[in-house]
Amino acid sequence: MVNHQSAQPQAPKRVVLIGARGFIGMALRRRLEDEGIAQLALGSVDVNLTEPASVERLVTQLRPEDAVVMLAALTPDKGRDAGTLMRNLAMMQHVCAAIEKTGCAHLTYFSSDAVYNLAVSQVTEDTPASPQDLYGAMHYTREIMAKSLAQTPVLVLRPTLVYGVDDTHNAYGPNRFRRAAHKDGKITLFGAGEETRDHIHVDDVAALTVRCLLHKSTGTLNLATGRSISFKELARLVAAQFGKPVEIVETARANPITHRHYDVTHLIKAFPKFRFIPLEEGIARAHREMSARG
Amino acid sequence: MPTIGFAGMTHLGINSAAASAARGFRTIGFDADASLIAQLIASKPTVVEPGLPELLHEYRAKLSFASDPAALAPCDVVYISPDVPTDDAGQSELAGIRALIDSVTPHLGEAALLVVLCQVPPGFTRSLAIPESRRFYQVETLVFGRAVERATRPERFMIGCAEPARALPDALAQFLRSFDCPVLAMRYESAELAKIAINCCLVASVTVANTLAELSERIGADWSEIAPALRLDRRIGQHAYLAPGLGLAGGNLERDLATLLRLADETGSHMELVRALVANSGHRRDWALRVLWETVLTRIDDPVIAVLGLAYKQDTHSTKNSASIALLASLGTVRARVFDPVVPASMAPHARCHAAKSELDACEGADALAVMTPWEQFRKIDPRDLARRMRGRVVLDPYALMNAAACRGAGLAYYTLGVS
Repeated sequence: MVNHQSAQPQAPKRVVLIGARGFIGMALRRRLEDEGIAQLALGSVDVNLTEPASVERLVTQLRPEDAVVMLAALTPDKGRDAGTLMRNLAMMQHVCAAIEKTGCAHLTYFSSDAVYNLAVSQVTEDTPASPQDLYGAMHYTREIMAKSLAQTPVLVLRPTLVYGVDDTHNAYGPNRFRRAAHKDGKITLFGAGEETRDHIHVDDVAALTVRCLLHKSTGTLNLATGRSISFKELARLVAAQFGKPVEIVETARANPITHRHYDVTHLIKAFPKFRFIPLEEGIARAHREMSARG
Repeated sequence: MPTIGFAGMTHLGINSAAASAARGFRTIGFDADASLIAQLIASKPTVVEPGLPELLHEYRAKLSFASDPAALAPCDVVYISPDVPTDDAGQSELAGIRALIDSVTPHLGEAALLVVLCQVPPGFTRSLAIPESRRFYQVETLVFGRAVERATRPERFMIGCAEPARALPDALAQFLRSFDCPVLAMRYESAELAKIAINCCLVASVTVANTLAELSERIGADWSEIAPALRLDRRIGQHAYLAPGLGLAGGNLERDLATLLRLADETGSHMELVRALVANSGHRRDWALRVLWETVLTRIDDPVIAVLGLAYKQDTHSTKNSASIALLASLGTVRARVFDPVVPASMAPHARCHAAKSELDACEGADALAVMTPWEQFRKIDPRDLARRMRGRVVLDPYALMNAAACRGAGLAYYTLGVS
């Protein structure tokens, strides 16, 4: 759960986004702009966090009054091996070293629901972290590194499956389904697509993050909607956006069926009036945006 | 007949003393709080309990109260009977009861028996520096709202003692026999754990109901159709706790679970069941918040929520771990209109809370109504009056006090536990 250090929303003097050019980073930049909050957007071209020299580079950029949002990570498509793990940890080590030198008013660390065991079907923030792969272990270790920073209020956000038109990854889910339907006229499911998952629109991730920044929230919060649907239902939703028939193909099941549901009560308590973009609306929005881009 | 004393005149002590007097025993109640004693002398107890003022008044000739522990000197049996408070983690705060025992024992006669009646963890009674032949523990089974009934007509007595095989001393045996129910003697630790075991069974039963009620809500079943069938199973029984609720509240059940978890930590006993009971309680407590979030909070700008009931259950003024209080704390800046027949609205941890004068006044202009305490008088609310006074249509009635069909007939969107 999270605690609001500022009961009343108060804009940070500046938000520094580390990893600003990724899928979530771009959405967050747009949201901060809409809210009129000053920001410094840093991407890998600005500072290569894998290099020790990045510490001094960051020190020249950071101010003690900044709210830092750490989004940068080498995602699984860049590698799932131990080398990627160590590079990811080095990146966090350098960010923490810089913050230790400059101080900051608030640190938000973007983790992942990969810290939970996939075999756990119902998840809350109280569910013990039990990562099953190096990617999840990386995020959980980085969470602890962030929380180990002395005198820095830390928020950990654990988003579940994030979707939106700008997603550069092609993971199993809305984005891949949409691209496959557009390109091939068919969506291929694992098995009959029985697994249930929670999908959150990237704009909701950005909106919730900004709310946390405004309240200087600390603790741990899952970013999920509380509504899970099967991949088969999801495929139908995506297919319905196309004016032409889209075939939904079932395949032989290779892995056991797992389900994932989020109890979002802590999120409701933190932001009782927050309204998620309904999945149907979010899927339609992503489709319209994709179509507009051609 | 022996004279019976009670030290500690809060909920447990007052009701137990009244029951003792009603059995014809000369009964002396002691509490160091002089103002509390003054109210008891006037037959005006500070606790809300149906039938208690009448009982105190009827048997006033047998009852005396004092704020000086020396008044207990004539007693043959002295019960240590304060309500033991719990901390935020549900653990008993025992310093007060130890101090009370220390203040009382110097005034007891040489043969007087001391019986610990309040909730203490296993090991407490054996640790007391009083001769074993005069030292006993008795399981209390008080139920808030039914305390008089429980004290005057107990199902059985469970007595912890040093040597269970030996007959109880005459004074205690005579007192207990007068209630005409079985008396089970056992070692101290067994009796102390028996109290916890009873509550653990009740919690397990309630948690089964809560768990399957939630599932019922999601798969189209109706728990209210299932529970009567379970009650007809002799292995479960007519009086089983099968009504779904909003998690554990009141403090006593939570205290026992906390004690079990502490003992498990200390001894290495497997206690995942109890951890699951605690977790489920927290989950169900927020049922109303989740329903309001889905139906009102995310759909209406600046909504007004009417909340009926602040007490953790009916017929009590206690708000310990109340689901209503938890809801109001979670509603943050959402406007609320609150009414409870006993608890003042000022108890609500909420900055935008309006103290309503009545049930219907609370509903005036509300977008949703949540009936959070099953006070009997709330059953009389006419859904048509709700529909007239409320701005919105959403009614949360977790305890099913109102008629669902009548609510729907009045155009209300009715939500209760155990059915979708």
